[in-house]
Amino acid sequence: MGILKSWRHPAGWAIFRLDDRLFLIFVAAIVGICSGIAAVVLNRSLVAIFEWIGQFRHYWWSFVLPAIGAALSSLFLEKIVKEGAGHGVPEVIYSVSRYGGLLRLRSSFSRLISSCLTIGSGGSAGPEAPVVMSGASIGSNIAKFFSLNDRQRVTLVGCGAAGAISSIFNAPIAGMVFAIEVIIGEWKAINIVPIAIASVAGTEVSRMLQGNRIAFSHRQFNIDLIDIFACLGLAVVAAAASILLTRTLRFMSGISSRFSSPLWLRAAAGGCVVGIIGIFLPIVLGEGYHPVKTMIEGNFSQGLAIVALAALAKIVATSMTLGWGGSGGIFAPCLVIGSLTGLAYHRGLVLLWPSVSWVNEGCFALLGMAGLVSGILQAPLTGIFLIVEITGGYNVILPLIVVSSISTSLCHYVEPASFYLKDLVEHGQLLRPGTDARVLADLSVFELLEKDCITVKQNMLLRDFINIVKNSHRNYFPVEDEKTGYFLGMIHLDDIRPYLFNSGMYDVVFLGQIMNTEVEVVNPDDELSEILRKMDANHLFSMPVVSNNKFAGMISKATLLDQYRKELMVQTCD
Amino acid sequence: MNLTINEVAKCLNLPLSTLERWIRQGRIPIYKNDKGCVFKKSALEKWAVTHNLSFSFPKEGVERQSNSEMENLLPAIKRGGILYDVMGDDVKTALRSAVENIPFLPEDKKDELYETLIERENLTSTGIGKGIAIPHPRAPLSNVIENSAIITCFLEKPVNFGAVDDKPVFVMFILLSTSTKIHLHLLSRLAFCMRDNSFVEFLKTSPCAEAFFAKIADFEKQLDKAKT
Repeated sequence: MGILKSWRHPAGWAIFRLDDRLFLIFVAAIVGICSGIAAVVLNRSLVAIFEWIGQFRHYWWSFVLPAIGAALSSLFLEKIVKEGAGHGVPEVIYSVSRYGGLLRLRSSFSRLISSCLTIGSGGSAGPEAPVVMSGASIGSNIAKFFSLNDRQRVTLVGCGAAGAISSIFNAPIAGMVFAIEVIIGEWKAINIVPIAIASVAGTEVSRMLQGNRIAFSHRQFNIDLIDIFACLGLAVVAAAASILLTRTLRFMSGISSRFSSPLWLRAAAGGCVVGIIGIFLPIVLGEGYHPVKTMIEGNFSQGLAIVALAALAKIVATSMTLGWGGSGGIFAPCLVIGSLTGLAYHRGLVLLWPSVSWVNEGCFALLGMAGLVSGILQAPLTGIFLIVEITGGYNVILPLIVVSSISTSLCHYVEPASFYLKDLVEHGQLLRPGTDARVLADLSVFELLEKDCITVKQNMLLRDFINIVKNSHRNYFPVEDEKTGYFLGMIHLDDIRPYLFNSGMYDVVFLGQIMNTEVEVVNPDDELSEILRKMDANHLFSMPVVSNNKFAGMISKATLLDQYRKELMVQTCD
Repeated sequence: MNLTINEVAKCLNLPLSTLERWIRQGRIPIYKNDKGCVFKKSALEKWAVTHNLSFSFPKEGVERQSNSEMENLLPAIKRGGILYDVMGDDVKTALRSAVENIPFLPEDKKDELYETLIERENLTSTGIGKGIAIPHPRAPLSNVIENSAIITCFLEKPVNFGAVDDKPVFVMFILLSTSTKIHLHLLSRLAFCMRDNSFVEFLKTSPCAEAFFAKIADFEKQLDKAKT
């Protein structure tokens, strides 16, 4: 019976009582396995749907297939599971920074189904972001099941994301780095160890179920110094393509949001456009891993113009799919656009300097992928490790690092926030641990409330008030209405100083006449950053907190500093 | 040793809501069992050290002292006693003979007290006007006396004290206190009595102890009433 009762509190088991990190590692392995399975399931069903749809591809009406898929996916998200469109990664990051990684259980499958519909029918998007959302939600709900605290839950959300990426790409290091660099944003052993375990578990699941295959294997490349110099140019081109993709995506969702028609209709319209593009350039349809494979192997035969056009078409198709309400991630389109960009760059080089013996075009396709991933995510490590692992090409590591870092820097210069974080940064919701914004967001007004102020009534005589002043140790006195108890104004000691030594005034002046009614007040629900901004703007040191018209206490910079420091110390050292 | 959540909040000097949030966010080491959270003192102390936080039980003694009521005028006056017909022609001789006659003071401390009183008198006169003086040492006399005392000395004949209003002094209240705080407290209460002219007239009659104490008790009541 005891075992039955304690099974939801495994942290109390003898072995885990030694150290709760041990317990977290144990749960991380479970999370890694679950999200690994989710990734495999998505991958399998995508392939199945894509093949099944493929038999209709040659009909003239096939261009409506992506439209039907996108509309169904949008309807499913909106009406059945009631979740917003989009790819889900910003939602995960938002929940990690604001709600301790709390995610709904239905998120663990909703994105899988909707992205299946979108991508399987030919929409230009990737399965990675949905599977990250799903893995994160699995981690969050397992943490909730074991009633773990926020900090452990955030780590498990990271574990879920890591397991998902590791499993879908068969890339354990990329999964780990992605979870830490993009999702959690905090490089600490307490996060890294469980996430590493989850990556291993996720990868192992995928290897057991699908075999240990490298997605885009290739031959050895012989890279010369001149190729590394050529990479500098490629990095610039890749950065330009990333910025173009980011801008087009935002532009498209901007246009889409101007229409008042229902979301599923807009998604269908976007899907239609993708379908029409797909008739001429079938490369834009679906996740597009097959063409990437041929490009890296060096078997892509089309010329420069077609390749460049395909890159642009893929950018447009991706924007039409994701910006107009389809469901899916940006990862796979990045890889396709990246390899097309790399290939186009190589074709351009050959055209300009035909006598130079450049390295194989597959190498440039691969570097282009790294440049695009790093540029869009602004996560250079994720880009580097992902490409190394999915291509099994450690011998390209030097140009890879060059392209990744330059592309990231250039994109960061033009677009300070990455594709995932842009919305969060714009709404001030990106709260990485240990930052000023995070500390201020975690502290609430109620925790800083000083309740040692003596409230006075507006019909009190100055004489009585002076007796109160004698026994108080604060300079501020809130004034209330006798009947309602509503807050009316404040009296500062400075306000009565002129009358303090004039006993003739003691019995003729009421506090209602002295009090200052033009005071800036704080609502208990206000954000602390907003309160501080108000204090600075008005040169105030403390402000009254008024809740439901009643005085609740004072908030002052002195107490804030005290609590802020404690919070910072608790958040930053381990 | 296990603590309750309220004790932990007090030890860390935190609002309860912050502590609850820290527990929820997993920032503070606790153990969970079926009944709830367990706070281990040793683990928390260790954690506080690594996080540069102070972790100590609030000192209850300090609070109690500040909250305790300070002694009023009457007990101090009763303890000090009344001296009648104190001899002396000037400040020094008057103080000398008054100090010599303080009953509860050991002989060897009398010289010391006299010196400190004269020292204070040299700074400015303690004659506060209306023929009254309140001689007192500058620093508290905690090593000489155990409790504060006011010795009322009716002089045999008025003495020129160099008072603010140049009136000769006919009564001295030698104010001995154990701390500066009590000194100020007693001084302010004494000054309140002296503001009343009828009391000064009453003092001029060198009243007997019972009548004098009754009068002081009367003033104390007025003071306490004004305060509440």
